Amino acid sequence: MTITVLGPGCTNCRTLERRTLDVLAQMNVQAAVEKVTDLDGIAAYGVMRTPGLVIDGKLVWQGGVPSVEKIRELITASR
Amino acid sequence: MKEWVKFALLAAAFAALYAAPIDAPIVVSSIAAGLGLLQEYARLHVLTCLVPAFFIAGTIAVYVKKEAIVRLLGPTTAKRIAYPVASVSGGILAVCSCTILPLFTGIYRRGAGIGPAVAFLFTGPAVNVTAILLTGSVLGWDFAVGRLVAAMVIAVLAGLLMASLFRGHDKKNADGSFAAGMGGDLPYANSTVATFFLLQLGVLVVFGMSMDPLLKAVLVVAMIVAALGIVFLKFRKEHNLEWVRETWDLTKKILPYLFVGVFIAGIIEVVVPEEVVTGLVGENTILANAIASTFGAFMYFATLTEVPIIHKLMGLGMGRGPALTLFLTGNALSLPSMIVLFRIMGTRQAATYILSIMVLSAAAGWLFGELL
Repeated sequence: MTITVLGPGCTNCRTLERRTLDVLAQMNVQAAVEKVTDLDGIAAYGVMRTPGLVIDGKLVWQGGVPSVEKIRELITASR
Repeated sequence: MKEWVKFALLAAAFAALYAAPIDAPIVVSSIAAGLGLLQEYARLHVLTCLVPAFFIAGTIAVYVKKEAIVRLLGPTTAKRIAYPVASVSGGILAVCSCTILPLFTGIYRRGAGIGPAVAFLFTGPAVNVTAILLTGSVLGWDFAVGRLVAAMVIAVLAGLLMASLFRGHDKKNADGSFAAGMGGDLPYANSTVATFFLLQLGVLVVFGMSMDPLLKAVLVVAMIVAALGIVFLKFRKEHNLEWVRETWDLTKKILPYLFVGVFIAGIIEVVVPEEVVTGLVGENTILANAIASTFGAFMYFATLTEVPIIHKLMGLGMGRGPALTLFLTGNALSLPSMIVLFRIMGTRQAATYILSIMVLSAAAGWLFGELL
């Protein structure tokens, strides 16, 4: 599983990245977490409001920092 | 940082301290003026304006329903709707500058196209709630309203101009996904959020009015109690935590720079000779507005710092017209933002955008200076 955090590097994007890493550790899921910070790269996913979350190439979230429970749900749904 | 760079910086700082004429009158009076202005802001503007303004900005960031607004900037929206929405949404969607560029890129590449994208890009930083409120508190509400209205009008004009010049751009845009957001808007009635917003705005406005102190205190306390009532009775705990976190985040991001800006503004008053200011931008001429426009375009003002600096420049004799011009270009353009623009839009479009903003801002400033 590859998880991509989309965001230019503001607080919200860092919060999302940290929560994602926490959830992965809790769930004991192996995944590569990468970040896309350049604006064209973010726009290529059709994301308007950062941060966004992409799991295995599919955009699953954008427009705010999701709660820890929501992230767990998104990861479970993509497995 | 490399070790030798650290050493060089340290040595330079030490050499400067060694040689600096610390007790020269100009140094002493500069520092005194900087501190004096900081105290003035701390006493007059921090509690009564900035604190409520940050809470208001936090409210917008958390409680205002943004997905509906972003949807109106999509590729299928009629232009007569997209332009006005783009020109006001900057203040609602982009409380911090790091959200402006992703949204701009999205609208530009996938959404309503180059015109509304440009309108949004310009008003994003210019129609910033905290900046408008601080402008009103420091320089008067005619200035705040002038700044707001001029920014919106210029945004639409610049957008229309870009769209007509670069008609080919939007054709390539038609395909591709445009997702407004998946966060799901919060489950609160619009009227609740609006009341909450207006109560906080009320606190700020009443603080700024001259009235009987007892009446003022009663009104302010009543509005704070009512706002807290909404917080505890209507809103969920997790969203309130988000609201406090967002407010605190903005405060941390903006306040330190503002204090530095205020200190610098105090020094400007001592160091910059009055004749230079009155000579260059004292009268409301075309040339003076052009100078203010160019200076603002290249100068970088961190959010809100333009207010104390323009405040002090006006104290030195800057005219009202050039001051408004400087407000308009000072926020919207800076050397770093221009570099990003050239990368996203390409040379021709970016240069046209920057030039049209500079010309329109100078014109708006001139008009403001003539009429009011």
